[in-house]
Amino acid sequence: MLKTRSKVIVEAHRHAGVFVGRGKEDLLLTKNLTPGESVYGEKRISISNTATGVNGEDAPATTTEYRVWNPFRSKLAAAILGGVDDIYIKPGSKVLYLGAASGTSVSHVADIVGPEGTVYAVEFSHRSGRDLINMATHRTNVIPIVEDARHPLKYRMLLPMVDVIFADVAQPDQARIVGYNASQFLKVGGGVLISIKANCIDSTAAPEAVFAAEVQKLRELGIKPKEQLTLEPFERDHAIVAGIYQRSS
Amino acid sequence: MSVDYLLHESPVGYAVFKVIHQPDTIGNRLKEVQAAVQDLDKFGKTVELVGLSPFQGTQDALQEINDISEGIMSDFLRATLETNLPKAGKKKSIVLGVSEKNLAGSIRAAFPNLSCETGETNQVVADLLRGLRMHREKLVKKVQPGDMDRSILGLGHAYSRSKVKFNVNKHDNHII
Repeated sequence: MLKTRSKVIVEAHRHAGVFVGRGKEDLLLTKNLTPGESVYGEKRISISNTATGVNGEDAPATTTEYRVWNPFRSKLAAAILGGVDDIYIKPGSKVLYLGAASGTSVSHVADIVGPEGTVYAVEFSHRSGRDLINMATHRTNVIPIVEDARHPLKYRMLLPMVDVIFADVAQPDQARIVGYNASQFLKVGGGVLISIKANCIDSTAAPEAVFAAEVQKLRELGIKPKEQLTLEPFERDHAIVAGIYQRSS
Repeated sequence: MSVDYLLHESPVGYAVFKVIHQPDTIGNRLKEVQAAVQDLDKFGKTVELVGLSPFQGTQDALQEINDISEGIMSDFLRATLETNLPKAGKKKSIVLGVSEKNLAGSIRAAFPNLSCETGETNQVVADLLRGLRMHREKLVKKVQPGDMDRSILGLGHAYSRSKVKFNVNKHDNHII
């Protein structure tokens, strides 16, 4: 807990639900949904709200707690710092998160969507899934789904239609996985964000060629690519592709 | 091939819908057709709820989701289909739209004069099932707003906990 850092000033980021802490160095922040708790040992910043109440009386002192979001640990944070135009994820969104791992990034996405939104977090690994379930017990807007994202029909009972799909599955057939999930659960006009690790698709081809091929695959699946962004300097040979699900051809 | 009925597996129960207005098979890749599925006013005229069989509590729902994810027709689903689908005569068979092909196979085995179409075999069925998922809270009037979300939360935890081999109460300590 950073108690002595009173100099940090929190500003809203261009993306709703994301914040920036201005201090000795700038930090990416999300508003902690469970104040007083860290999920993976990340630092927290408390800002006291000094708004005066009605009739000039002193309002009860309240604090807002933010959690520091590390771009080296989260592809989405890296994309935001890289200047991605639209993350589609905003307060109130329903997000299908494929490749949730232990739920560290998921917890920040849960902070962004807030209590009105929901994150449906799919992870196939049992060990990561256990940590994901534990994280979700404290955050009721996260639905843990320990299941294979290749078979979305297995978890169809747990999903409504969603606004956004975020995918970080690092599989050779990830475009197909995302397209299949989108055809089941993503609204027409919904956002798609895919993290592509060139090595995981084809370790022999040039990363640029891999990214271009993946973008082409997405087009064929009814996803209109809007933007491609490298994740340098946080990740090597990674790109985030953002797009809109159109379904119609 | 036209589809007469649709099965939707929701977290609160099984719902059977009747297709009252057959959508066109031609042009379902058009933007306008996709937009019509998203619009409740238009989609509400296409389908009609025949019946909803709610699950009796969490244990029940967990049993059903385990069967559904493996493509097995449970006795409860069988009873639901028996009560909500009309008895097919010898001449005319009924076409039921189902989400997944293994479940379709199980259903067909139990109901000989029922034929099944899935989202993979029939684009119209895929779009109709998407529409049901989109508008189910409005179409199933018995369900209170928020009930679906609460059921999903409970069921998601129950399902995932039953899947994980490890003791879920143990934590891994993260080292940064």
